[in-house]
Amino acid sequence: MSQFEVYSPEGLRMDGRRWNELRRFETSINTHSHAADGSSYLEQGNNKIITLVKGPTEPALRSQLDQTKATLSISVNVTKFSKFERSKSTGNTKNERRILEMQTALVRTFEKNLMLNLYPRTIIDIEIHVLQQDGGILGSLINGITLACIDAGIAMYDYISGVSIGLYDTTPLLDVNSLEEAAMSCVTLGVVGKSEKLSLLQVEDKIPLDRLENVLAIGIAGAHRIRDLMDTALRAHAEKRVLNASKR
Amino acid sequence: MAKDIEVSTAESQFILEALKQNYRLDGRSFEQFRDVKITFGEELGDVLVELGRTKVHCKISSSITEPYEDRPFEGLFFISTESTPMAGPQFESGNNTGEDEVLISRIIEKAVRRSGALDIEGLCIVAGSKCWAVRASVHFLDCDGGFVDASCIAVMTALLHYRKPDITVHGEKIIVHPVDEREPVALGILHIPVCVTSSFFNPVDAEQNIKGEENSEIVLVDATLKEELLREGVLTVTLNKNREVVQVSKAGGLPMDAMTLMECCHRAYDITERITDQILAAVKEDIAKRDKYSAILSSENAR
Repeated sequence: MSQFEVYSPEGLRMDGRRWNELRRFETSINTHSHAADGSSYLEQGNNKIITLVKGPTEPALRSQLDQTKATLSISVNVTKFSKFERSKSTGNTKNERRILEMQTALVRTFEKNLMLNLYPRTIIDIEIHVLQQDGGILGSLINGITLACIDAGIAMYDYISGVSIGLYDTTPLLDVNSLEEAAMSCVTLGVVGKSEKLSLLQVEDKIPLDRLENVLAIGIAGAHRIRDLMDTALRAHAEKRVLNASKR
Repeated sequence: MAKDIEVSTAESQFILEALKQNYRLDGRSFEQFRDVKITFGEELGDVLVELGRTKVHCKISSSITEPYEDRPFEGLFFISTESTPMAGPQFESGNNTGEDEVLISRIIEKAVRRSGALDIEGLCIVAGSKCWAVRASVHFLDCDGGFVDASCIAVMTALLHYRKPDITVHGEKIIVHPVDEREPVALGILHIPVCVTSSFFNPVDAEQNIKGEENSEIVLVDATLKEELLREGVLTVTLNKNREVVQVSKAGGLPMDAMTLMECCHRAYDITERITDQILAAVKEDIAKRDKYSAILSSENAR
């Protein structure tokens, strides 16, 4: 990794961004209108994620039926070709602990943000396919789910936007890619709307306690920007759909 | 946590109402960590940690094996967490793919193994062919909340307490000296991570929590089982004495203000400092007790 400089003295990162810049953020909404009730395709840098929301529907199993609220189930499928090197693991990646942990974290994040009490005795099934990953994957999954749920018309309290922040020496770097993620310790945030409330917070490596606050502040600002980007994309999409509907 | 045991409506309302009036069922204050009791077994690296009524047992064992091909200079270190119905009816035997079991074992794994608490390069004997494999087996014996916190203390105490047999290397040949022949050697511990779990309760309705300004959520440190069953969010912070955050996990749950979470981290640091001292003191005392020949063997004299 010596030919790369994580953060140059001029203040540029490996991919030419500055410390507080997000990656390219492009989305299409309602990509799978027949297969699912809500869907989104998200490209955040080189992360490429398809999210499908099916439901609220009648649950297939009795055990998934809750009299008071909808059951939320999220399954993450990380494809074997999603990384630079093809994953060598044989068998199903779904049972890997890392994936299970991610699914649990996502379910618990969205359980509090979707108004599940409005859909009792139903199941909302969210299916995620990671086509390509390049760092900060959990944050991108959160964004993908938020977009798809809005497309599905499921009642939510607010947007949840996810982002990863690295800490390089003393400089926080917003929205890390996989090279940066491997080189330093990272924090993943899930921020509710335009507030300072964190739904999800994960730190996986050592970070000095006194720097954490700074990192969180940058992360929250970045997440707010992602929220705005998602909002613009959704509004543009809605406008297009309204236009199409009125043409008919 | 568990799905099988449920708190009755009357009891849950009572506990939540008490919390709103600043009372906890066991009389602790909101920021108070339960007293930790550390007991050592007969052997080295055999520890029982009691946190209130939660009991966790940890035993370290080691053997000599071949290192991984891609990491010839490193030894192996495994942590296995075992939950059986002994700890409570909510645990199934043989099934550790439940949501909570996965989260518990992942957090311990991140806190101890991935943070490099154990010096695995020090476990290398002959590069590429022989190394020590250290295994920490954690058993949950009784559950009254705070499994992560108790297990982390148990694993770290056991690692500090364990001594592996001394060895001499002659080229490719290794002589393992029995414990009664040569003093066994301690493992290299680089830092002592301590987990502190905070639980969140929402005294107002969901809209107030997300849209409201006042941040009126209740924060409890070290919840008991009943509190764990009723909580709406949880944050586990792992710190060490060097003011480093080793791991933080708030996997969803009640959205919390960033400043409140920072306060939790700072509060956790005070608890970490105290527990680290307690662990070190307990290990030192027990090792001194075992070291009965040192007075005879010592060349120290009164002068």
